[in-house]
Amino acid sequence: MAQRTGAKRFLASIAKSASAGVTLALALTALALAGCGGGSSGEEANGASSTSSKDTLASAGTEAGSGAKGPAANNGAGPGADSQGQGGEASGGESSSAAQNAGKHGPHVPVPKGPQEQGATAEQMANATVADMSLKSPAIIASGGQPGSLSPTYTCDGKDSWPALHWSGVPEGTAELALYVMNVQPVEEKLFVDWAVAGIDPSLDHIEAAKLPKGAIVATNGFGKRGYSLCPQGRGEIYMFALYALPSHLGLRPGFDAREARTQILAVSGNVGLLPALYAHG
Amino acid sequence: MRRKQTAIGAALAALAVLCAMFATSASAAPAWKFEGKSLEGSEVVLGGAIDSLLTVPGLTTKCENFLYKLTVKNEAGTGKGEVTEVPLYNCTTNSSACTVQSIKAEALPWASKLTTVSTTPYIIIEGVKVPILYEGEECVLGGILVTVTGSAGGSINNTTETATFNSTTLTATGTSLKALGQKIEWNGLFPTEAFQWHREQALSVS
Repeated sequence: MAQRTGAKRFLASIAKSASAGVTLALALTALALAGCGGGSSGEEANGASSTSSKDTLASAGTEAGSGAKGPAANNGAGPGADSQGQGGEASGGESSSAAQNAGKHGPHVPVPKGPQEQGATAEQMANATVADMSLKSPAIIASGGQPGSLSPTYTCDGKDSWPALHWSGVPEGTAELALYVMNVQPVEEKLFVDWAVAGIDPSLDHIEAAKLPKGAIVATNGFGKRGYSLCPQGRGEIYMFALYALPSHLGLRPGFDAREARTQILAVSGNVGLLPALYAHG
Repeated sequence: MRRKQTAIGAALAALAVLCAMFATSASAAPAWKFEGKSLEGSEVVLGGAIDSLLTVPGLTTKCENFLYKLTVKNEAGTGKGEVTEVPLYNCTTNSSACTVQSIKAEALPWASKLTTVSTTPYIIIEGVKVPILYEGEECVLGGILVTVTGSAGGSINNTTETATFNSTTLTATGTSLKALGQKIEWNGLFPTEAFQWHREQALSVS
């Protein structure tokens, strides 16, 4: 009770006393300079000295028991010892808690089925289109691990025209560029193309919103429309904007089949820039 | 005189409160421990992910067996380590149109270190590089090589002896994995149990 009264006095004095405020400020400065004595600054925080984090984690329920006294208390089966511990045997000198834990701990490595996955072979690499170009849009800003949201302006809920797109990393020797927008998830098990434009001058590094550059050749999209249409059938969709660099001219004509042309494009293009975008109705 | 004493008392009380705050929020560097004792020398942590999903926007890649070998040690009281092997098996995607033609962890070893953020211990894996080649005529990423790079921080649970990686733990540790020029999601649960010298012993981080 007496302590509680004392604490109240401290709090009351903070509120009332201007001089206490000044003292407090000085004390805080001193505290910051001194690092409070307990703040662990990285390298110092070993098992013996980092009492703060140790206490917190102890409450999280480690099963270590009470024997830990710091690094010096290591058992005799450490890596410095001979190779008796090989093969995963628990070595002599274990604590009783370790013995109790036998069967509870130890690695549970699942036995894999089938062959180990391998990296791409030289042939696969030669045929692959590498996603190493940068494609961005001021209208599509990614947040965290989620794709950037697309404004309704660029969908059938708005003007249904494309946003401005900027790119970089077009390799030397590129003959033309092709831009695609596709649904990430297939529609009726088929790749759905919302927009495809070929014949883009490789010296360009952007296109403006709703404005095609000179020489651009527009495909017939999945809706059967020659042009752009981005219209989710469900509540929302993730779309992929793709810019392919082509080492030679494909000679496509206006209204070309976007899906067929993509097969041709992937066969020759070694580089692509990708930009995912999310759109959900209302 | 009495007023002066109360003022000093108030300052000391505030100091004590702030000390406690500093002690719990400071970014401490934790160590690897077995049965509560700091690890001396090195140890091998070998395991298989209980779950691991890598999501390039719209397309999630999952490996039925995501194994890993992590060599851990303490340097100046701070937990460090290296991921030396990450064999992957039976990797698939969540799209019927897309298959994984090739996937492999590259640029190994990946350096690792322990840290503490707001009293929670984390393991940070750096230098991650995983190229994935997708396949499928109807797959939006078919024929395209996507490389995941960056670093990832996962929270360590000493009770379950697991490390959890997700967007929250990556954000908390200021780490990120990237592909297609943007952050991607990685959700995984990885047991952290010793394989070599300290097998069967409780592994903790503090």
